[in-house]
Amino acid sequence: MKRLPLAAALAAFFFLLLWFVAVRQAALFVVGLGMGATLAGARFGFTTGWRNLVEQRDPQGVVGQLLLLGLAASLSMPLLGWFPELQAALGPPSVSLLVGAFVFGLSMQIADGCGSGTLYKAGMGVPLNMGILPLFALGSFLGSAHIHGWLALGQVQPVGLVDHFGVGPALAGTWLALLAVGLGVRWFAGWHKPWLSARWVWGAAALAVLAALNLVLAGNPWGVVYGFGLWAAKVATAVGLFDPAANPFWSQPGNTQRLAQTLLLDVTSITSIGILGGALWVAAGKPAEVHKPLSAQQWAVGLVAGLVMGYSSRLAFGCNVGAMLSGISTGSVHGWIWLPMAFAGTLVGLRVRRRFGF
Amino acid sequence: MALNSPRTRRTAFWLLLLGLVVWDLRHSAPLNVWREPPLLAAGSGQAPSGGHCSSPK
Repeated sequence: MKRLPLAAALAAFFFLLLWFVAVRQAALFVVGLGMGATLAGARFGFTTGWRNLVEQRDPQGVVGQLLLLGLAASLSMPLLGWFPELQAALGPPSVSLLVGAFVFGLSMQIADGCGSGTLYKAGMGVPLNMGILPLFALGSFLGSAHIHGWLALGQVQPVGLVDHFGVGPALAGTWLALLAVGLGVRWFAGWHKPWLSARWVWGAAALAVLAALNLVLAGNPWGVVYGFGLWAAKVATAVGLFDPAANPFWSQPGNTQRLAQTLLLDVTSITSIGILGGALWVAAGKPAEVHKPLSAQQWAVGLVAGLVMGYSSRLAFGCNVGAMLSGISTGSVHGWIWLPMAFAGTLVGLRVRRRFGF
Repeated sequence: MALNSPRTRRTAFWLLLLGLVVWDLRHSAPLNVWREPPLLAAGSGQAPSGGHCSSPK
């Protein structure tokens, strides 16, 4: 596809949102386009960055992600302090979080993409990620429908660093913790390895600004997984397979309202559609990539991993974006629990990935 | 155009997404642009209306 007609189609969708839905949703679509273009243009892959660190001792991707977390926190935490109506990404530390983050980190390596990675790769036309997206949505819906059972295994109240300590101490503590992680990564990779490349720096800077814009516009931090679950919940409800009124999660007033209204009014859905569009626009300007054909077994394993990834992302109260980026950058302790658990899962996932020849 | 060509797969993917959006519009509550949310949540004084994956409910 050529970029010009694609840009015209994206502009038409923007004006449709602007005229018929809401100005905010049109603005969030543009933010999503920027996110997709950045993720695809910089190849800012959370999954690949972790894999490169473990398998090649290449720290550039992980250091780029730490830079993103620091920059996003520097923008988001003051915003949370100035505007009390803005919400941090506060998930409860819980058994559900521990299990979910570990399984998510494991499955994202097999599926070769986290929440944002699946979106931008699907937008670029990577076959496995296009196939995974509907299963990710189904898994996310099933996880949300079961979340109360998982929470019954044990939880404590969410902890927000900005609320507890104020903006300055929360931001300083976050930067210190990120610096400590960065030094650990450098020690593991070896001090002679290059720290960063340009694409990780501009990718981190652009994503941090876009994540802050998302927070200012939507009132919530950037998320991916909720929207996926909402799409599947709408379909399951419409075909009579699911009764939201009988489910503890989907019968909550906010979720009931979002089930009844169009997904074009849902903030997460609209940024995700934007990410797909932005990634498609980047891919349209490049020669078509040739992807290694997968065997039937690899397809089956990859699709199952996508389903599991969706389910576990709900248990973990977010993926690399909703829990790690948005959690840590808005001062949620659950983001700091998610990170090591998902990384531990990744260590197992890399072995499974090799076992099936990905 | 071969059925399993990259272009066919990509077209099918986008048609599926477009179909979901159109189906959803037909099966959801009508839009009311006079009750649209504020452009900026920051400074609006209103609680955010969107869901987030970090929320347990």
